[in-house]
Amino acid sequence: MSDAPSHVPGESILPGWIKGPQDFFGGLALVAIALFALWASSDLQGMRGFSFGAGTAPRMFGVLLLVLGFAIMVVGAFTEGPKLAVYAWRGPLFVSLAILSFAVSIRPMGMIFSAMASFMIAALGTHETQWKETFIVGVCLTAGCALLFPYALGLPLQMLPAFLNR
Amino acid sequence: MGDLFSNLGLGFGVVFQFVQWAPAFLHGMSIPIPINILLCLIGALVGTLVGVLPGIGTIATVAMLLPITFGLPPVGALIMLAGIYYGAQYGGSTTSILVNIPGEASSVVTALDGFQMAKQGRAGPALAIAAIGSFFAGCVATVLIAVLGAPLTKLALAFGPAEYFSLMVLGLIFAVVLAKGSVLKAIAMIVFGLLLSMVGSDIETGAARMSFNVPELADGLGFATVAMGLFGFAEIIRNLDAGGEGDRDLVQEKVTGLMPTRKDMMDSAPAILRGTVLGSILGILPGGGAVIASFAAYTLEKKLSKDPSRFGRGAIEGVAAPESANNAAAQTSFIPLLTLGIPPNAVMALMVGAMTIHGIVPGPQVMQKQPELVWGMIASMWVGNLMLLIINLPLVGIWVRLLRVPYRLMFPSIVIFCCIGIYSVNNAPMDVVLAGIFGLLGYWLIKHDFEPAPLLLGMVLGPLMEENLRRALLISRGDATVFFTRPLSASLMAISAFLLVLALLPSLRKKRDEVFVESES
Repeated sequence: MSDAPSHVPGESILPGWIKGPQDFFGGLALVAIALFALWASSDLQGMRGFSFGAGTAPRMFGVLLLVLGFAIMVVGAFTEGPKLAVYAWRGPLFVSLAILSFAVSIRPMGMIFSAMASFMIAALGTHETQWKETFIVGVCLTAGCALLFPYALGLPLQMLPAFLNR
Repeated sequence: MGDLFSNLGLGFGVVFQFVQWAPAFLHGMSIPIPINILLCLIGALVGTLVGVLPGIGTIATVAMLLPITFGLPPVGALIMLAGIYYGAQYGGSTTSILVNIPGEASSVVTALDGFQMAKQGRAGPALAIAAIGSFFAGCVATVLIAVLGAPLTKLALAFGPAEYFSLMVLGLIFAVVLAKGSVLKAIAMIVFGLLLSMVGSDIETGAARMSFNVPELADGLGFATVAMGLFGFAEIIRNLDAGGEGDRDLVQEKVTGLMPTRKDMMDSAPAILRGTVLGSILGILPGGGAVIASFAAYTLEKKLSKDPSRFGRGAIEGVAAPESANNAAAQTSFIPLLTLGIPPNAVMALMVGAMTIHGIVPGPQVMQKQPELVWGMIASMWVGNLMLLIINLPLVGIWVRLLRVPYRLMFPSIVIFCCIGIYSVNNAPMDVVLAGIFGLLGYWLIKHDFEPAPLLLGMVLGPLMEENLRRALLISRGDATVFFTRPLSASLMAISAFLLVLALLPSLRKKRDEVFVESES
């Protein structure tokens, strides 16, 4: 969904008539999202007489977003505005990887393993990480969560890898 | 009047409920424990604990802590959530006073004078006056909710689908007008939220909408999932950008001398009073005004002050007024939620999410069918405020120490905590992935200066709006003028249109931006 221009090259490549690139591309992405939603809901039933079909409301909101996105684009093109912000890659990448690794490993490996692994992956997200300290905190945190969630909060979570439970 | 007291009595009865606890090791003996007070206390503590972490706002805190209330009975869960909410707000002001990093928009103004006071070695009085002001505002707002609750519920029962739809439109317009930044972009975010809420199965026909045959999407996007992604993960990623450590400017001196002097009290008393009144009014408005309340209260104090130049240099009124206004608005914003079932802002939208998870549909029916739930929650607000005053001031030292935890250790912990929390809601790994995607989306939104809060509001209101729109048009046999011919609905629509025009007029837009300009100066 956030497949917006994530690494837009420098100002030089952008056409000169775009005065506020931040809004222009923001609006453009909204237009794209709206078009995608309109396409995705195109197979749904529309109005039947005066009662709504399943597709009526999504299409309504889709068209509305299309119009608004376009308006933001136009405003962005003609009024002076901020440039595109600089995107960092390290934080988003490793935090996403940590989340993904948690999602993939929680079922087969259990909470203790996957929480610890994700903690270490997430810690890669900044160059300031000191590994010894991070490892100790990770162990403490995992232990804390292993006590907090199932016992204090009564949420059943599988702790150990699935193959040990068989 | 008698109603009021009996209702409040019922509420306090719920809050002071004792549960007999009979653990095995006591051999048949049982100890009575005030379960709801305990939950409120824990909520306020945990809320402060997370809210105090720099860069984590109230919405993010409530979203992150939602899962820990799922295992509780509904009354207890809502009381605890309310506690978390106040704690988070208080934690946010602590951070802005001590570190000059406001966790959210509503405490930006607190940072202006609060941090200056802290630099002058008066962090103690600043924190104390913030707590006292909040407590006073909380007391007034609690009574106000109790007074307005019943009549508004009666009004709500007279509402048909057309009126509800118009009211929601008004609420969304208010949310746009009272928010900071571009009106156009805020509206676009609301519509984006409405569109996202359409994912899942249609209420009437059961047809799967935009779910691409993904079974996890067939039930719609989970509310907790989206909130945690947009606020939790996105904030973390954004904070990593900033380099974490660089801009932390923690007041290093020990916080001593908590109590404000007599002069401080005299100076801030009228400010607290004015802030409370302003905040209570702005909070009731649909669209929720905690942010604008604190900005407006600060501006008002500055205008009324004999010596406006003191502001921004550690004037105690500059802390007292916005903090009271902020808390009053936070509390009175429960009124539209409890009586009309319409969340006025993103935090209340989260409360709706929590209620739905417990099988409660907020609105006038709840007030009548489950009075103990509503009044218990209202009474717990007052108790929560009292607890913040009693426990948090002595604990300031702990919060300060927490502020020194380096971000490099904090952020992976938050990531893991959020992951486990999201997973535990449905035991669905897919939810975790979705939250991650929404985290990236939120990061992108921040980068393009789009506010994620209206999106969340739109997402909660989406299904309600669709349902009422459908019903209204079905009853009127497809006649769309029904929204303008029924008097109540017509006046709500007229107000919305009027507000929108006002917000778009250039001269008034300037006035509106002036209120927010304090943060930049």
